[in-house]
Amino acid sequence: MARRLKFNIFRYNPQDPDSSPHTDTFFLEETESMSLFIALNQIREEQDSSLQFDFCCRAGICGACAIMINGKPGLACHTLTDELPEEITLMPLPIFKLIGDLSVDTGTWFRAMYEKVESWVHTDETFDPNTDEGRMDNALAEEIYELERCIECGCCVAACGTANMREDFVGAVAMNRIARFMMDPRDERTDKEYFEIIGTDEGIFGCMGLLGCEDVCPKHLPLQDQLGILRRKMGWSAVKQLFRFKS
Amino acid sequence: MAVNTTTYVRSPSRTSAYLDWLQMLTGVALILFMWSHMILVASVNLGAGVMDALAHFLEKTYMAQVGGPIIACIFLLHFVLAARKVPFRVDQQTTIWKLSRQLRHTDTYLWLIQVVTAMIILIMGSIHMWTVLTDLPIQAAKSAARIQGGFWLVFYLILLPMVELHVGIGFYRIAVKWGFSRRHDRKKYKRFETYLTAIFITIGLVTLVRFLLLKT
Amino acid sequence: METIFTDVLCIGAGLAGERVAIEAASAGFDAICLSIVPARRSHSSAAQGGMQAALGHCAMGDGDCPDVHFVDTVKGSDWGADQEVVRLFVDRAPEAVREMAFWGIPWNRVVPGKSTYFKGGKEFEKVEASEKEGFITARDFGGTAKWRTCYTSDGTGHTLLYTMDNKVVQLGVTVHDRVEAIALIHDGEICTGAVARCLKTGDLRVYLAKATVIATGGYGRIYRETTNAVINDGGGAIIALDTGVVPLGNPEAQQFHPTGIVPTNILVTEGCRGDGGTLLDVNEERFMHEYEPEKAELASRDVVSRWMTHHIRQGLGVKSPYGDYLWLDIRHLGEHHIKTKLREVEEICNNFLGIDPITQLIPVRPAQHYTMAGVRTNKDGAAYGLTGLFSAGEAACWDMHGLNRLGGNSLAETVVAGKIVGEKIVEFLQGYEVQYNTGVIRSAVTKQEERIKRLISGENGDENVYDIRNHMQDELMERVGIFRNGTDLQKAVDNLQEIYARAQKVGLRSNGAGANPELGLALKIQGMVKLALCTAYGALQRTESRGCHAREDYEARNDRDWWNRTLATWKEGDDLPTLNYEPATETVELPPGERGYGVCKIITCDGEVIGEDKS
Repeated sequence: MARRLKFNIFRYNPQDPDSSPHTDTFFLEETESMSLFIALNQIREEQDSSLQFDFCCRAGICGACAIMINGKPGLACHTLTDELPEEITLMPLPIFKLIGDLSVDTGTWFRAMYEKVESWVHTDETFDPNTDEGRMDNALAEEIYELERCIECGCCVAACGTANMREDFVGAVAMNRIARFMMDPRDERTDKEYFEIIGTDEGIFGCMGLLGCEDVCPKHLPLQDQLGILRRKMGWSAVKQLFRFKS
Repeated sequence: MAVNTTTYVRSPSRTSAYLDWLQMLTGVALILFMWSHMILVASVNLGAGVMDALAHFLEKTYMAQVGGPIIACIFLLHFVLAARKVPFRVDQQTTIWKLSRQLRHTDTYLWLIQVVTAMIILIMGSIHMWTVLTDLPIQAAKSAARIQGGFWLVFYLILLPMVELHVGIGFYRIAVKWGFSRRHDRKKYKRFETYLTAIFITIGLVTLVRFLLLKT
Repeated sequence: METIFTDVLCIGAGLAGERVAIEAASAGFDAICLSIVPARRSHSSAAQGGMQAALGHCAMGDGDCPDVHFVDTVKGSDWGADQEVVRLFVDRAPEAVREMAFWGIPWNRVVPGKSTYFKGGKEFEKVEASEKEGFITARDFGGTAKWRTCYTSDGTGHTLLYTMDNKVVQLGVTVHDRVEAIALIHDGEICTGAVARCLKTGDLRVYLAKATVIATGGYGRIYRETTNAVINDGGGAIIALDTGVVPLGNPEAQQFHPTGIVPTNILVTEGCRGDGGTLLDVNEERFMHEYEPEKAELASRDVVSRWMTHHIRQGLGVKSPYGDYLWLDIRHLGEHHIKTKLREVEEICNNFLGIDPITQLIPVRPAQHYTMAGVRTNKDGAAYGLTGLFSAGEAACWDMHGLNRLGGNSLAETVVAGKIVGEKIVEFLQGYEVQYNTGVIRSAVTKQEERIKRLISGENGDENVYDIRNHMQDELMERVGIFRNGTDLQKAVDNLQEIYARAQKVGLRSNGAGANPELGLALKIQGMVKLALCTAYGALQRTESRGCHAREDYEARNDRDWWNRTLATWKEGDDLPTLNYEPATETVELPPGERGYGVCKIITCDGEVIGEDKS
């Protein structure tokens, strides 16, 4: 027996002076292997063509479609309706600025994050097209890739107690990024330099260890482990500097 | 391209790191103290004499007279340090409560318990310390008399679970934050935390009953 | 009207667009990238498999060099490629891979010693040389003589895009995300920028640039079943075609990927077959080795897709409410291999199909995958028809893919072409000045404002934009798919012309305020139908079979009459494109011959018929 799904969807178009924040209700007949991607598009095409939401790859690769699904952040494209109750409440991600309805501006937030953590390989060398690439251990390459898998969907930030309370907190995604570069021998930054970026209450020491990030990450990145390692590393770095050891 | 004309540049500071270390270390110190404290108090179950002997030893070596106030200071310091993270502003309060309700996420709830118990412990713990430390020596008979008065029984029935919850969760949180607990053993740590809290509350309750029944 | 000036305007911030911007910024020019999504959500990130470059470090790639890569690519293109461009590409690809390594890609590396691999379901052994330890390794991909596809597990596109965007941030290149270019600003000779719609506010904005680059990727979304992201709806190709002077090259060239999952058409990487996965039919028996004894599952994509469709037509597909499909089997690769090297595949199966590929078969069938068609450029990436307009990546018809692209050559193209076209733009900009004509700008803006007003007010009519899109997609899927014939193509052209007429009568049902999604689609629906018509009409006219273009009524590849490239322009007011033709390649390093796989009936340049149709 196909269920009749009830969708409560947050609506607000800041660009429309007649619009105010409210919830709209839509009903849909559930179909086989229906995902929120299918459902939302069906609602837009058949019931309300002004409904704003974001999808891109619709395959769980690009991170565009993170929304709050019954209170939890998740990727809409790979959430199947049969995993959900009959009543489904959809809200935009908190923290990020609202564009309209379920659509939020992750681009600006993440660009600021890249700039803050200087999310690139820092090296004094210059590229020489005529020599072989530097060697790297395959196991290390795979370890780096493990952290590089982050799709910047914003779920970890949305589920983070600290980030929700303080706007300047960089979030697990930034910490994971730093951890990725720390692991990479091509990046010549020292622990002290990393410390200057995230050795603060906006960075690793602001993390309260609530593990919302770890528990919602759609890519199952090892965020808990990386945050722990990072806190210790940065903590030791501070102690070493206190005793003026060489870092 | 943005032009930054701000001349004030914040110099890199290590304060956050040190404060975080201190928060953790004071936490660990208090956890260890609470465990020792429980041993001292629970020793009454072995007989009033055992407790009195232990207390006498602590006072003779001035550990109570000196250690007591030091613990009180650590206690306050720990509060001040941890309070950096506690939402005092209304909007932050609203946000965090709303978030935990939405997420239905145990670890976020646990932290709220930490915040609430902290406030209660701050007040009740201070009263308890003042009462005990201004009325040395510590004697099983004196404690029993207080509890049998009724008011203090209720007082400790509230304070006991607050403290044990706070200590248990604090233990787990330190393990997670500082990377002692990893993804693969997080469940183990959490279970350990639950057992620890339950065991200490049980010992505490047994001890309270013992005091209640102790002839003064 | 907000007006923004820059030296280089890249429309699209995927790998190609960003690579061009990096080259320009490194040379000291201002560059702005426009992207309809945050840059890292671009579809480049979805390319899982890898990037071809003849490094020759791994044992199975021993002896590889650009010459071998050249031959593979030209054969893959079924001699439709511009051989001068292919040569440029293969020579620069190894350098591009190394440069990306230098910027931070965690390429998988050579692990010395014995290891096993699968081919056609059988296990083989190889020994990696210890002196190559730690160099970039490669995997096997369809249509290649050597293992040449460099990879990072199964997230090659993802790591490439993230690293590229890191470089963009490092160089301070501006990226305006959620901005869509909806018209080029030009006077019929020189292109000076674009009119864009902000997808955060709905406002129009003018970007004025000395050089404008179209790097918007492919437009698979004109098909109903496609592996492409929902953003791949042809924005760049449409604004180029709208100029009336810039042609699309080979619009009929649409590649189908053999393994889209059923029913959602999400791609599972060619790496599955490269690593030894097999295709099974309804009886769970292999069949590809019967059609292609040599390459079996690893023949080029057009060939595998066609045999799969053929096999399904023989009644050997698995029946389902979503149509017939076949099985992809990777079970024998083992849990470890699947959980590390093919993890995205595992996730896709778990999340979208609810199956476990370690123990279960994956339902697959061919789906539209890649647009070889695109804005026709010369070897420098400069578009035909307008000075100051360039194009790179999948959006362009540069043309190294001809009528069929090899797996792993698309990621490689974005990075290599981005680099080369970027260098050429830097050369172009040296000493180049342009005068911005306010009249031209004003009329371009007014035209767009007028369009938006009419769509919102419903003055043109009240056709439903989603309806029209669905009809167009069905039409292409049904009649301009893997196998094509004159009757169906003619019908498709007729129906699409009717749909095009309806597309001009679209009216919004919502109020169109702000970043309204219905307005976004309505602004481009006419363009999308134009692209569909170019595809169908180009296919109708090309009376031969070459690469992905398989005509049932003209089964031979006809080098005598059709060794050329279709150029489609659209004159204002017409309801069909104007087709012209140019030779496929001026330089001939490798004369046309047999590919060694696929149908091998060929009408040679001299008119001689060789080979036999095997089906």
